[in-house]
Amino acid sequence: MLLRSLAASLFFALAALPAASELPARRVVSLNPSLTATLVALGASAQLVGVDDYSARQQSAVRELPAVGGLFNPSLEAILGLAPDLVVLVPSAQQRDLRARLEALGVEVLELPNITLAELLASIEALGSRVGREAAARARVREIESAWRAVAAASAARPRVRTVLVLQRDPLYVVGRGSFIDSMLITAGAENPANVFAEPYPRTSLEWLIAAAPELILDASEDSEEPRDYWARWPSLPAVVKGQVHRIAASEVTLPGPFPERALALLAEAIHPAPGRSDP
Amino acid sequence: MKVLTARRAAGVLALLALAVAGSVIVGLAAGPSSLSPREVVSALLAPETPGAAADIVLRVRLPRVLLSLLVGASLAVSGVLFQALLRNPLADPFVLGVSGGAALGGIAVLSLGSAVGLSHAAVAPAAFAGALATTLLLGLVSGSRASPTSLLLTGVVFNAFASAGIVFLASLAGLSEGAGVFLWLIGSLSNVRADVTGWVALFLFAGLACALPLARSLNLMTLGEEPAQQLGVDVLRVQRVLLVAASLMVGAAVSVAGLVGFVGLIIPHLLRLLIGPDHRLLVPSAALAGGAFLLLCDTAARSLLGGRELPVGALTSLAGGPVFLWLLRRHQQRIFAP
Repeated sequence: MLLRSLAASLFFALAALPAASELPARRVVSLNPSLTATLVALGASAQLVGVDDYSARQQSAVRELPAVGGLFNPSLEAILGLAPDLVVLVPSAQQRDLRARLEALGVEVLELPNITLAELLASIEALGSRVGREAAARARVREIESAWRAVAAASAARPRVRTVLVLQRDPLYVVGRGSFIDSMLITAGAENPANVFAEPYPRTSLEWLIAAAPELILDASEDSEEPRDYWARWPSLPAVVKGQVHRIAASEVTLPGPFPERALALLAEAIHPAPGRSDP
Repeated sequence: MKVLTARRAAGVLALLALAVAGSVIVGLAAGPSSLSPREVVSALLAPETPGAAADIVLRVRLPRVLLSLLVGASLAVSGVLFQALLRNPLADPFVLGVSGGAALGGIAVLSLGSAVGLSHAAVAPAAFAGALATTLLLGLVSGSRASPTSLLLTGVVFNAFASAGIVFLASLAGLSEGAGVFLWLIGSLSNVRADVTGWVALFLFAGLACALPLARSLNLMTLGEEPAQQLGVDVLRVQRVLLVAASLMVGAAVSVAGLVGFVGLIIPHLLRLLIGPDHRLLVPSAALAGGAFLLLCDTAARSLLGGRELPVGALTSLAGGPVFLWLLRRHQQRIFAP
């Protein structure tokens, strides 16, 4: 059921993409770390000629490439200086003007949203077809889908664990409804009470979180205070009572990338730890 | 001008104290989760009983109720003091740049702290250090005898400097820190910790202890420095003591709640319209009214949208602005007589 709706949305997402140009792009500038990681994973590193600052910091494969600025303030001049035939980015209010200006200057721009899982898979396929790596992209998507099926099957028979995934403590941001992280939580056997919020990453209140009574808190914030100590301030939280408060690395779970099945496996392990493994 | 009698002062203060008590009850009773009044009362009466109600009432709502009272009181009292000392109706707690210094310190930790392993708990101390440094700097720059105008100008320049620094820091920060910086600039009590309540209270009460005995001198100083001097007021000493006291109050309040706007501007004016300009009554009234006002705004901020939070600083201005303009229209002629 889940996979069928996934396939359907994937189909529509692909159908909505502009017809790809005939020739694979040879000089690509990526303005988003997730897209950069996908291009590297598909074996298109050689076609990348420039990246944003975040990509340059996170991806060792592109560290030597020229960086053209941050997510909010990429330099148009630096991008044009690299003579790209394709610029890839994730839609955002900050980069809307940039896209218009690049297109006005005759540079092809591919805008790939990656909030939902369907969008994430579609972005892998779209990037693959644009850089001449269709086969690799299709194989990647198939692998992700089969990992999804396997995890969903393994968690189907087990009780759902009421889980809140905290992205940031103050202001409090959690994973709400519809994002690929939400999909991963559900697939891995969680019940996400933050589903009541329509946004993918809502800002919420402590009072809501306490009233939601999560049995498991996965804390992906970067605050240096140990999650266990921080959340113990509210001792009624079932997750605190059961000792089910864990830190998860934001870089491994919350960034949409080419290997979401790794994050899925991490979450599945946190939600239903494999028998025999001691609680960390 | 109404004459201040002990009886009238007692009446006004009793009324405001009732308003504070009422808003404390509303603040404890209201929230996004549907706790019944009975659950709230039993959580308060039996704090040792474990359960979500105890966590929500005692560890989420109560610290916020206390802190919004203290922050609101500090902002309103310091607003009264700055307006009187600078003899400028537009003065507010942020006018001297102390808030800018606090913001610079806090936001430095917010945006870059995680890179050097500083926890979020370091934001408030860093902000307060920023406020202290700014107060010292103001003292140094303005020298032994500064006119209100030169103090105001120093504040304007320092605030501009601080906002440039904030923009610089925010542009270095990542996406998630950016949201924190934004909220801090509007002012929010969303995730306050109970352990900061003590020092906001300390500076508020120290400030009140300085301001109340000097309230008569403040009344005379609104006539101008020279007439006040001739009437026996040690103008320089009053200025110094109250500027430092008010700056420390603002620094403590801003360091835990961010730049909650408007409370320190409109509560003093509102009270002058309603109870007259005598600082002996105005100062304690501002403490009570500022606290109650911020508490009600914060309760609305966390209750209006279900589980979502609004920044309280946005609500204070949204709620306070129209009320203030309406009052201003009714009492047009009186507002500019300090």
